[in-house]
Amino acid sequence: MATFKEISAADIKTSRSSLNQLVDIVQEDVSGSTTRRKYEVFVTGGVGPGVTSSLFQTVYDQDFSLQTANPIFDMTVGLYSSGSTALTASSGQDSSGKLLFPSNSLMMREKIDIYKQYSQTLLGNSDNAFYAPFGSATTSNRIDNAFFMSYRRLFARDKIKRETFAMRFYQSASLGETNHDTNGHNIGETSISGSAIFTDIGAAANKRSTFGGEVGDLVDSANTSRKVGLIFYDHGTVVLDLAKVISGSQHISGSVSGMSAGSFQGAGPGNVIIGGIKGDDPNATFIPGLMVSGSVDNILDHLASTRFQSGTLTGMTFQNQTHINSTLVFCRATADEFNYSSNPTYTDSDNKIRVIDDGQEDTQRGFAFPTTVGLYDANDNLLAVAKMSRPIEKNDEKDITIRVRLDF
Amino acid sequence: MAVCHGRCVIGFLDHSTNNIIIDAVLTDVGRSFLARNDGSFSIVKFALGDDEVDYSIIQKFGRTVGKEKIEKNTPIFEAQTNSNLALKHRLISISNPNLVRIPNLTLSGDGLDSALTTLSLSRTGVGARRSLTVTQALANENTVDVELRDQAFLVKVPNNFIQISGTTPDNIDSDNIATYVLTRDQSTTAIGGSKVVIELQVKAVTDAQFLVFGDASDKTNISSVVTVSGINSGATKDFNVQISKT
Repeated sequence: MATFKEISAADIKTSRSSLNQLVDIVQEDVSGSTTRRKYEVFVTGGVGPGVTSSLFQTVYDQDFSLQTANPIFDMTVGLYSSGSTALTASSGQDSSGKLLFPSNSLMMREKIDIYKQYSQTLLGNSDNAFYAPFGSATTSNRIDNAFFMSYRRLFARDKIKRETFAMRFYQSASLGETNHDTNGHNIGETSISGSAIFTDIGAAANKRSTFGGEVGDLVDSANTSRKVGLIFYDHGTVVLDLAKVISGSQHISGSVSGMSAGSFQGAGPGNVIIGGIKGDDPNATFIPGLMVSGSVDNILDHLASTRFQSGTLTGMTFQNQTHINSTLVFCRATADEFNYSSNPTYTDSDNKIRVIDDGQEDTQRGFAFPTTVGLYDANDNLLAVAKMSRPIEKNDEKDITIRVRLDF
Repeated sequence: MAVCHGRCVIGFLDHSTNNIIIDAVLTDVGRSFLARNDGSFSIVKFALGDDEVDYSIIQKFGRTVGKEKIEKNTPIFEAQTNSNLALKHRLISISNPNLVRIPNLTLSGDGLDSALTTLSLSRTGVGARRSLTVTQALANENTVDVELRDQAFLVKVPNNFIQISGTTPDNIDSDNIATYVLTRDQSTTAIGGSKVVIELQVKAVTDAQFLVFGDASDKTNISSVVTVSGINSGATKDFNVQISKT
């Protein structure tokens, strides 16, 4: 046909490349209550109004009630079933193997189940524990109290690029030094000291893979021999050892969810006081105190709202990687092809070709200025279209090859 | 920026560098065929288009200056994903080196206005069915080049309101534009131009459709566009259709 040209198999090639994008997450997005979405699916009855909590929270890049908000990452916490926090808090197990916990603990089985879920997905066995550094079998390297952050596909894309991850985290709690006798609520006080950068520096030179894909160690940038967690690049998940990234022995005080019918020391029904002189346990610490007594929402609220601060600094950053599969189509127009046009301006009202001057018909030839390439199937359906940034002259002394790249 | 058919906004491509940038996208049809996962997405041929170019510049400024003006002063729109709009005017390959005239498509038939640009249809009665003849015309010439004689015509009609009787569409896209491929008539014009008779028929258009799709100034009238293009010549003819409620 005069307006189409067949494309041979030799003119179609495929290639693969990758694209990196820098993702910056500001502190305010993590700490803000409007940018952090909760899903209160856990409900318990018992004494008082009961407790509701999320099993995870999602951090958005703006107020999550807005339609334009994008979810950045999900975060949750988990406890290793054979770890010291879970074992110490447990009062045994029933005949069916279900772990039992006293009433002053909260969501213990859920925290353990979350840990197991991540273990199963990332390590291949729900009974396995995470260790930092990865591959260690030393008990002191075991992550008993885990802080999980799973980046959404919208931002992590195909994977997180190695050695690009860093996060700013405040290890020390406010008012955490003593069982202070103030109105006691450092659980919600923004941390101002102990700032540390946790990063996967060195991961590019130490590539390891496991059941859940490529994995690297997270280290304290001030002391890279101090391993504080793991990052699973393909899965887009960060596992932090809370015992290493916060000062777990610091005292905690404040109100957390709990089985309580009445009001007590400022805590309304459904809440109890932890730590401080008003609490039952004035010496309660973040680990195990908060990890055992707090709901998942209590723990996440504390970590997100106080440990990332609430400024405009970068709270986390990484580069993602998108694998692009491309089809290269070489559209070749030989000297004799595509030199005329069906453009209505190409001819005048007498059908005469405008680009050939009157009286020069025997010496001048037609030419055209393609701007567009259309790729068609056998039934003339236009499947793809490519535009050139400016017109190119095509005449009978010129052959052109236009390389059209289609990315998938 | 330019707005096309009130549906998609397209911008210009950066032409400030010497490099030619190719901006490629799949069309809606291409994406639809990919989603079918049945191998229907198969690129087998290409065409070149020049929708933005105004060749009258060559006539006004001469070949040398005119070419430069077209090359440097013609901003190109970004690629359009609507397959009906993305490439309207195809370039043509013709082996005849002495060609100086190219045929266009002309309309004839009942219901056309005097300018032959608008076809009047009605929901019922005689005006609900019109027979149009599309002909390849060439002024001041004794023959249409053999390579430019269209063997078939693509006709795109708004499928909500109009159909071509006696045949079924080859494709109906997401915008409800039906594409028919009609083989040319056996007979040709005296100079060898192809022609085809199109039997346009108004579908059962409801009052509610008139309320929704009717002209803002007159809800008893629906306006739309029908496009005919020659497979071989690439020539296109767009004409308005107006469907009246009565």
